[in-house]
Amino acid sequence: MCEHATEEILRLEDVTLRRGSFLLNQIRFSVRAGEIVAILGRTGAGKTLLLETIAGFCRPEAGRVLCRGTNICRIPLHQRNIGYLYQDFSLFPHMIAAANLGYGLKLRRVPKGEIQKRVETMADRFGIRSILDQYPGTLSGGEQQRVALARALMVRTPLLLLDEPFSALDPATKEGLYRLLREICQEFQCAVVLVTHDFREAAALSHRVGVLLGGTLRGVVPAQELFDAPWDEETRCFLGLEAPEKE
Amino acid sequence: MMRRGGWFPLVCGLMTLAALALVGSNVAVIAVRGLKSLPACLVQPEVRFALGLSVKSACISTALCFLLAAPTAYTLTRTALPGRRAAEMVLELTMSLPYIVLGLSMLILFSSPAGKWLKEAGFPVVFHQNGVILAQLVVNLPFAVRLCAAAFRGVDRKLECTAGLLGASPAQQFFTVLLPLSKNALISAVILVWSRALGEFGATLMLVGVTRMKTETLPGSIYLAVSTNNLDAALASAFLLLVLSALSLTAASLLGRSSEKRSRYV
Repeated sequence: MCEHATEEILRLEDVTLRRGSFLLNQIRFSVRAGEIVAILGRTGAGKTLLLETIAGFCRPEAGRVLCRGTNICRIPLHQRNIGYLYQDFSLFPHMIAAANLGYGLKLRRVPKGEIQKRVETMADRFGIRSILDQYPGTLSGGEQQRVALARALMVRTPLLLLDEPFSALDPATKEGLYRLLREICQEFQCAVVLVTHDFREAAALSHRVGVLLGGTLRGVVPAQELFDAPWDEETRCFLGLEAPEKE
Repeated sequence: MMRRGGWFPLVCGLMTLAALALVGSNVAVIAVRGLKSLPACLVQPEVRFALGLSVKSACISTALCFLLAAPTAYTLTRTALPGRRAAEMVLELTMSLPYIVLGLSMLILFSSPAGKWLKEAGFPVVFHQNGVILAQLVVNLPFAVRLCAAAFRGVDRKLECTAGLLGASPAQQFFTVLLPLSKNALISAVILVWSRALGEFGATLMLVGVTRMKTETLPGSIYLAVSTNNLDAALASAFLLLVLSALSLTAASLLGRSSEKRSRYV
């Protein structure tokens, strides 16, 4: 856990949301600046729905989502200042990488020269200077990931939500990006919530890990205690600590 | 020797030939006979007037059509407005109605006191060129909405959400993400709608009739020419419509091909 991270960036208070027969049930946890929290869960556990609720794509039926102490549930998407990375990176395919990076600044009417300067600085930080004039379709998965991360950080977002961002990448690229994410998280002091179904990734990358099963958050523990924490039986089965009972 | 199961492609091939013969023979008649009559008819002021009015009204009605269709399609595909399904059903229904029925309803609407008030305010519709534009607009609007909606549905919504989180308001998401990404599909839609407007006849006939050198479009010109047994003039107008349709179809297909190439690259 990072020692300097004191400011609480995100707090979820009993966030509840129903989608058909699926219920995201009274989710509560918080994330501090510079901290990475991974939410582990099976496919269909509600991980993406949880991230989408924090981002504002869905409005919770009950509970509150607080960002720096402000309830953001009724704040429109474009005023939330939250970074969101999809599994497929969602880069704008009709814009070159530089335009993708500068998109948020352009909307904020930052002068052109200033945008270019900041894009180049960020590109240097992420090692993507040489691909700035390329369209996303011509970039590799790792390059797209870097551009997407850099784009989210260009607008100085305090909160970054990552939806299984490394699942489509090869192990070597993943390792490089883990390192980069940890570095930028500290450097930009942003809180990161990452959802994944990969135990190894969750333990290697995050400071704390939460387990989400069937729409219920079973707990959030320090990453190094993931396999030692006093989980319930279902969670222990999910983590492979206990064999599921045979019927 | 025929392979096992080889009869099916053969039957399909024969059916294709029959379909081509059925459609192609009509195109051939217009192309061959219309081309012969064209030089003599093109000098006639009536045909030139009809051509001018058709192109002008099709351009104006298409522009108005997309001015309404794009926001409507956005509402239908990107918002959770109550009554969305009902709105979609109304649009679908008018699309399947015979256009002469739409023309009749427009005639009744614009002959009402409200229509008379419009006329007094300087916007006559019934038996006026404005009516030609309005008829084309009403007939094509549901079609244009459907094309725009299909274009918008083809764009990944996650991109707009991403733009939103980067600070783009809904209008900025529309203009910087949705519109550029559906541009090619929308241009093809404009061409198709323009081409349909050019050939609109049923609703126009009911609303404005066909008066020589006043409300005479190319389809109206064909109708008048056939009524007066002037087959050469009818064929010449038909040939002009054929050429315009072929040109718009070519443009739409070229755009489609360039968009396909681009999507493979991007």
